[in-house]
Amino acid sequence: MTPTVPMIKVLGTVSLLCGLLIVGADVNTHARIRHNQELMMKESVAHLLPGIQKQVIYGIEDNGDLKILPGVEGENVKRMFAGYDSSGKFLGVVIEASERGYADVISAMYAYSPDKKVVSGYQVVDMRETPGLGSRIGTDEKFAENFKELDATHPIKTVKHGTKQNPWEIDAISGATISSRAVGRMLQKSVAEMVPVINKNLDRIKRGD
Amino acid sequence: MSDNAVSCHSPAPAAAKDNPFLNGLWKQNPVFVQVLGMCPTLAITNSVRNAIAMGLATTFVLTGSNCLISMVRKMVPKQVRIATYIAIIATMVTLVDYLVKAISITVYKALGAYIPLIVANCIILERAEAYAGKKPVLKSTLDGLGMGLGFAFALSCLGTVREVLGAGTFLGVHIFGPNFEPWVLFLLPPGGFISLAIWLLTFATFRERKAKREAAKAKADLEQLEAAAV
Repeated sequence: MTPTVPMIKVLGTVSLLCGLLIVGADVNTHARIRHNQELMMKESVAHLLPGIQKQVIYGIEDNGDLKILPGVEGENVKRMFAGYDSSGKFLGVVIEASERGYADVISAMYAYSPDKKVVSGYQVVDMRETPGLGSRIGTDEKFAENFKELDATHPIKTVKHGTKQNPWEIDAISGATISSRAVGRMLQKSVAEMVPVINKNLDRIKRGD
Repeated sequence: MSDNAVSCHSPAPAAAKDNPFLNGLWKQNPVFVQVLGMCPTLAITNSVRNAIAMGLATTFVLTGSNCLISMVRKMVPKQVRIATYIAIIATMVTLVDYLVKAISITVYKALGAYIPLIVANCIILERAEAYAGKKPVLKSTLDGLGMGLGFAFALSCLGTVREVLGAGTFLGVHIFGPNFEPWVLFLLPPGGFISLAIWLLTFATFRERKAKREAAKAKADLEQLEAAAV
């Protein structure tokens, strides 16, 4: 006869212990992980805005106003990084974005040029997409080329691999359509939300104050 | 299934019972002898650094899961043993995930989704089912440690060949002159298969020669005994 009660007891106890171990690990590593992610964020900004010498971090308030943040610390804060070269010339902004992918949430940063009104670069910060397939959204060079001059004046859309015709379209990776579409949705949502905020505060952002 | 049962890929050597730590490290090396865990072996060995990181992460999971599984082995009804093992292994993998992310985000990014996939590494469930579920805690922990370090050793061997030939570097340090033309093939998937084949051949040749030497020695000893008896 199947020992139902012992099975439930053992599975329940083991699950409880496993849960406690995971919670303990999360609590003890949280601060350190956050610190590492912030360093990674700074590196991403430098990568997305070549020539950057100075950056100003803006927090975005609910009414669309900006406030200067002292650093990248803090969770659940909407942030935007404005970059300037050595002469103080405005280079563009880098914006954080995330969207549900195939396996988990994809977090990325992208550069936006308010003057050209294009997305000028993109880098995945965190993802758990399938290695070799979905993970190519972070490594595929051809896919990255979509984001060199991606028109942001029109709704951004991911199209089937090899069918891209317009500058606002993203050519999906063959075999990684779900992840590619998630990137398209992520950019479209973020651009639709952030571009009005940037336009509203553009003079201030260009001055860096 | 015997206590030291291994996969169907290769039989367990007769001497495998001696030392649970050395068995995994050498005599039953998970990659070179048992040919297990091929996905991470081929996927992440394009640099020594990634290979070492994945090897150590797997070692942590193997050691921890073997230890915990051995502790609870007498309480777990056989009907739910696999579910229990998987829960424990998945927990250890989650801990590794947090630890790697906390120690180095660069390594975490390089290993990418391969860390969560450690849970599906057949070496870990195989050791849980074949060893830790039947043996005492100390022996099981040593078995996990030996197997994990054996896996890390094998990954490092592959990573060394691929990084040196494919990029002309070792742990990121250039070891050839500026005229060296990297053999990029070794950083690509075919290079993984070629490197693995080279190492498997080397390891098999080494083991075969050793077995022949031991057989010849045993034969000579027997002849000596027979001569002495006559």
